Amino acid sequence: MASYCLPLGEGACWMLTTTRRLVVRDNQATASEYVAEYIIQRINAFAPTATRPFVLGLPTGSSPQQVYAILVAAFREKRISFKHVITFNMDEYVGLPSAHPQSYHTFMYNHLFSHIDIDPSNVHILDGNAPDLESECAAYEAAIRKAGGIELFLGGIGPDGHVAFNEPGSSLNSRTRVKTLAYDTILANSRFFGDDLGKVPRMALTVGVATVLAAKEVVIIITGAHKALALQKCIEGPVNHMWTLSSLQMHQHALIVVDEDATLELQVKTVKYFKSIEGVAKECGYDQMVPSEIARQNAERAAEEAEMKALLESKGNGTKANGANGGLMVNGTPQRAVTPDIIPDRMSSRISDPPIPEGMMKENGELKMSNMHSRMPVPAY
Amino acid sequence: MDPRIPEAASVTSSKLIKFTNCRLLRGDSLVKADLWISPETGRVLHGQDVFYSQKLGPSKVIDLGGKILAPGFVETQVNGGFGFDFSNECDNLSDYAKGVNKIRKGLVQFGVTSFLPTITSQKTTLYKKVLPFLKPSSSIRSASQGAEILGAHCEGPFINPCRNGIHPKSVLVKPEDGFASLAECYGADNLQGGSNSTVRLVTIAPELPGAIDAIADLDARGIIASIGHSTTTYEHAISALSAGASTITHLFNAMEPLHHRNPGIFGLLGVPSSNKPFFGLIADGIHLHATCINLAWHAHREGCILVTDAMFAAGLPDGVYDWTNGDRIEKKGQVLHLVDSDGKIAGSASTMIECINNFRNWTGASIAESLTAASRTPARMLGIDGVKGVLEPGADADLVVLDDSEDAEGWKSLKIEQVWKFGEMVFKAD
Repeated sequence: MASYCLPLGEGACWMLTTTRRLVVRDNQATASEYVAEYIIQRINAFAPTATRPFVLGLPTGSSPQQVYAILVAAFREKRISFKHVITFNMDEYVGLPSAHPQSYHTFMYNHLFSHIDIDPSNVHILDGNAPDLESECAAYEAAIRKAGGIELFLGGIGPDGHVAFNEPGSSLNSRTRVKTLAYDTILANSRFFGDDLGKVPRMALTVGVATVLAAKEVVIIITGAHKALALQKCIEGPVNHMWTLSSLQMHQHALIVVDEDATLELQVKTVKYFKSIEGVAKECGYDQMVPSEIARQNAERAAEEAEMKALLESKGNGTKANGANGGLMVNGTPQRAVTPDIIPDRMSSRISDPPIPEGMMKENGELKMSNMHSRMPVPAY
Repeated sequence: MDPRIPEAASVTSSKLIKFTNCRLLRGDSLVKADLWISPETGRVLHGQDVFYSQKLGPSKVIDLGGKILAPGFVETQVNGGFGFDFSNECDNLSDYAKGVNKIRKGLVQFGVTSFLPTITSQKTTLYKKVLPFLKPSSSIRSASQGAEILGAHCEGPFINPCRNGIHPKSVLVKPEDGFASLAECYGADNLQGGSNSTVRLVTIAPELPGAIDAIADLDARGIIASIGHSTTTYEHAISALSAGASTITHLFNAMEPLHHRNPGIFGLLGVPSSNKPFFGLIADGIHLHATCINLAWHAHREGCILVTDAMFAAGLPDGVYDWTNGDRIEKKGQVLHLVDSDGKIAGSASTMIECINNFRNWTGASIAESLTAASRTPARMLGIDGVKGVLEPGADADLVVLDDSEDAEGWKSLKIEQVWKFGEMVFKAD
């Protein structure tokens, strides 16, 4: 490991090299600011161009609304441009006209797209009025692939832990598809439709859990006491399809930004642990950003992977967690090491075969057939 | 494309203007949103639809730095200005046309993008001569002509001699034959009806013989009948309302004052809200006490229309000027009096934006409500809601950009920064 984190000891270093982060801020405003500034920093560090655009996944909802307001303000201050940003939205209702005040098209237009310099042809939102919804979903996945995959997926969660419209019980392996809304969600959303349950669309198109997890980085904003239980289930609970966001535990580069209220159900030690990670990271002189250099320099990554492969081959089978690339100094700023993809081996391969008792083996190397009772000790009576 | 979006709100060319970073007048409030317009069609676009369905971005983005963007003002009572009066009988009709053009171009600087040129009571020969110059100008959607004429407002001569104001009594007549009397006076050719009618609005005193029949006939033709210059009782005014009158010409002025046993025309603001008429208010600070404006506003907000009643002397230096029929008018500051008349007020010399500012400060109405009283409400009265007075997709791109400020004494004022007509900028403050 690199010299700059040696004083912390080997264990601390390992923690820092993981990029599953929980950032706690005092309130919704500061949490939103953190997320917005993080996105700005990520896009600017990526330095997108027409040929190498930044692909951003986007949610709707009350939590992201403030993030968008800050992004718009930053755009007006000329701190960020969306000229070479491609966006993919998470979801849209089925059958709601796109100009309906409650459609996610309208939400995105009002809160973000109309105020920034994004090219309309770079904006992707699922069409809930498409004649063939299934092929609309398939085309959406294809469009994401064509754009080179999502670099950063921003998301929020529902009080029941759902991410996008992946309601509790959704497959964690799901891709973009038509989804029937849970009764809870219809009930909760009826406030936007004049409290008339009959007016709330009953179906939606949504990216799947796996679509979100396939992004290079996932950033989730969770604010408010009413989401505290969901946060607890997703962070401290097991990976569980009843709390779909818990699947984020499987993601390499996940960042969850919360306000104090949202931590109400977490254990004190969990909150303290994540706060200490942030503190230590700051002491070490780097923020918690995924170095975009890494996301960008695919060549370097490929080289690393080759190196890793060679290493694994030389050691025979075995799970190796990290390469030797920790503590790089790029342009004078310390960069964290990449967490390489884990290449799983079979657990059985780590267990050596038990010795075979004498006399059990035939000359040709096969086991002798015998009655099972012959292996039992003779009773003492 | 969304089937609910009017076709006029779509666009074929990529020449689009987007106003951003502004506060739009939408409904009862100012909202932070963008506005897309097409200088080609001269209409407001459905920005969201252009963005998503047509995948078009704006060719020009105008950052208004947080200023207010509102629909252009719709004025229903303009007698004249800049030295010209619509009631002038010019020796040469081409001089009349020049005068009309001068006012159209002049009015836009006050934020007025469409208006009803108003003729006070005149001899029948004058109506027939000049009304053709005041027919709706919308067939030529040209920004260079200035404010758009929506048709004429004929304020008289079917009014009560006891409440004539400064209208000469000698020319006043009774509509004894109902609509036929009106046709004889204004010329049947000028009463086509509907939105292309040359005469768009008639101020009439309902107590005159034949007036109720005339009101019913006007209403049937889609010409607006307005109660005014009248001594009518509350009961009779109700009959006028039932016959089809839908608005009141400069409420309080030239009518009987409110009496607790005889509420008169003002009493119409107390009828059930579905039947309440619109009403004009001259908020110039001279015609009406501020509290009367406040009273009327609170009685019926949805019907309140701000008018200037501006005269030819608006915009001229102080002095005595010749007016029609041998009368003379004296201008002192913003006050206009008829000479030798015991101080009768002779219209106003104020501008629409001044009236809006007065109104806002006196009533405590919000910015949105104050602007609505000068835009959407008169448009609704004229039956052109959705085309004028709103920033909805498909509406004409007649716009004002306003700056909002407050002085040390707490007087709030809106200042006109820019005026747009049919999607083109026609005025910009220095």
